[in-house]
Amino acid sequence: MVKRFGAVRALDTVELRVTPGTVHGLLGPNGAGKTTLLRMLLGLVRPDSGTVRVLGERVVPHRAPTGVAGFVESPRFYPYLSAQANLDLLAGLDGRHASVDTVDELLARVGLAGRGADQVSGFSFGMRQRLGLAAALLREPRLLILDEPANGLDPAGMRDMRALVRELAEDGRTVLLSSHLMAEVEQVCQDVTILSAGSVAYHGTLDALRDRAPAPAHHLRTSDDAAAGAAARGRVGIEVEPHRHGGLAVRAETADLDDYLLALAGAGVTVRALAQTSTSLEQLFLAATGEDG
Amino acid sequence: MRYALTLYRWELEKLTAQWRVRAVFGVAVLAPWLFVAALRLQDAVPADTLFGRWVHLTGFATPLVVLVFTTQYALPLLISLVAGDIFAAEDRYGTWKTLLTRSAGRGAVFAGKALAAGTYTVVFVGLLACSSLAAGVVVLGHQPLVGLSGTLIGGGAATGLVLAAWASVLPAALGFAALAMLCSIATRNGPAGIIIPTMVGLLMQLASFVNGVDPLRHLLLTANFEAWHGFFTADRYYQPLVTSAVLSAMYLMSCLGIGYLLLHRRDFTEG
Ligand SMILES: Nc1ncnc2c1ncn2[C@@H]1O[C@H](COP(=O)(O)OP(=O)(O)O)[C@@H](O)[C@H]1O
Ligand SMILES: [Mg+2]
Repeated sequence: MVKRFGAVRALDTVELRVTPGTVHGLLGPNGAGKTTLLRMLLGLVRPDSGTVRVLGERVVPHRAPTGVAGFVESPRFYPYLSAQANLDLLAGLDGRHASVDTVDELLARVGLAGRGADQVSGFSFGMRQRLGLAAALLREPRLLILDEPANGLDPAGMRDMRALVRELAEDGRTVLLSSHLMAEVEQVCQDVTILSAGSVAYHGTLDALRDRAPAPAHHLRTSDDAAAGAAARGRVGIEVEPHRHGGLAVRAETADLDDYLLALAGAGVTVRALAQTSTSLEQLFLAATGEDG
Repeated sequence: MRYALTLYRWELEKLTAQWRVRAVFGVAVLAPWLFVAALRLQDAVPADTLFGRWVHLTGFATPLVVLVFTTQYALPLLISLVAGDIFAAEDRYGTWKTLLTRSAGRGAVFAGKALAAGTYTVVFVGLLACSSLAAGVVVLGHQPLVGLSGTLIGGGAATGLVLAAWASVLPAALGFAALAMLCSIATRNGPAGIIIPTMVGLLMQLASFVNGVDPLRHLLLTANFEAWHGFFTADRYYQPLVTSAVLSAMYLMSCLGIGYLLLHRRDFTEG
């Protein structure tokens, strides 16, 4: 399907295949079209052309598909109502009744135990994020859509969120999770789709992606960069070039890097600083989305 | 339909949770008593206002004077305070995406809100009517009212006519509510949804005073606000009520129709 905003093609013929019962990462830099795609899956936005199919059914434009729940950008609630009242309302819109017990259990599950009676206006950004997850789970979706769910969460919150997402997948639910950080996706997802400027740059398993990945990148400073550069020439498994901030940019797997550093010491060149600048997957992500510096 | 009723119930709950709505209802209940108290403290009368001359003589004049005042200046504003904000509030809170990603469709959301705004309008007008009738009769007494042709109207008949007069402005009141809802949907902005219908009301009121705009006169929603005068003459007449009620219904249906289409077609790309 295609979606334009004026001259901007936010999405251009995107196809997304998500295996049921897995956590699928939707990865892309800011403005890649992740949120726009998720809005279409939730029936909030109509594609300019093409159709959206989710869980085997065509999404009627401007209608939330059955079996799908989640949020885009930050979840929003009525600030003057309590968390419990907000969830009651949303359950009602699904034709359900949310008993106090159900809601309490759900709030405990997302780390908001005992906050049901509090007005949402007093909730922090991270607490609203958690409440958003609770609201989505209340719908008992088969496909859960989470748009940058780690935004605004503290480290403990992120850990809880990851654990919960894994748990949900183990229960047989499918989770589609967007992020602009490879590190976040790497920890919970089996499959990824990388979006770049509205098109799919990669679609497949993380393992297959790893196999295609270049070696990790490092920033190296030595007592004699010219000699160090010369020492790399002819060596297998290592790529050395001048770094744009001075020193050398080195791409190599750990074992090859170790050999190289020993060779440098043998040649009388000392290492002043060595730092990994990106992991292999991040390298690939940056290359795929054209953000490679 | 089931979802529309659920939403309707929730919209009422959301409305009563807001201080603005409570304040407007408070004013509707208290203002007539303050008005009557002010009358008791002085001899002057609002002689320019219909029935204004009789305010000291009978309590039945009070609800009619309040009716004239309210419909001339305040009713579109007081209705729009809620109806003009009921859709835009979702934009303000960013909650459209929360509402519209559940099983209830947009039609149900629209119907629930429209019904709630209509209910608010009727309850507000009803409160003001009962409160001003009660304030007048309790404080100033239930002496017969002098009708517009000079005949005396006894207590029982006067009560009925006063309530009928208040009920007769409901078509235009609901018409203004629909206009406010349309503005609320179209502008996605609460203040605009409140101010535009209020200005339209005042302009219509102004236009009805100006001569020479006769073709326009047939399109004035505010004509309905004077239709009750026919109830208080010796030979009662209802033609203005019928005409203005039909016009109000046309306003109501077209505003709601356009509003529904706008909401139905809207892409929620923000918030
Ligand atoms: N409401 C909008 N109006 C105009 N352009 C928009 C709107 N929403 C998104 N866009 C554009 O569409 C593209 C994709 O945006 P988005 O889906 O929000 O990306 P992401 O979530 O991946 O950061 C961007 O170029 C953005 O500027
Ligand atoms: Mg986004």
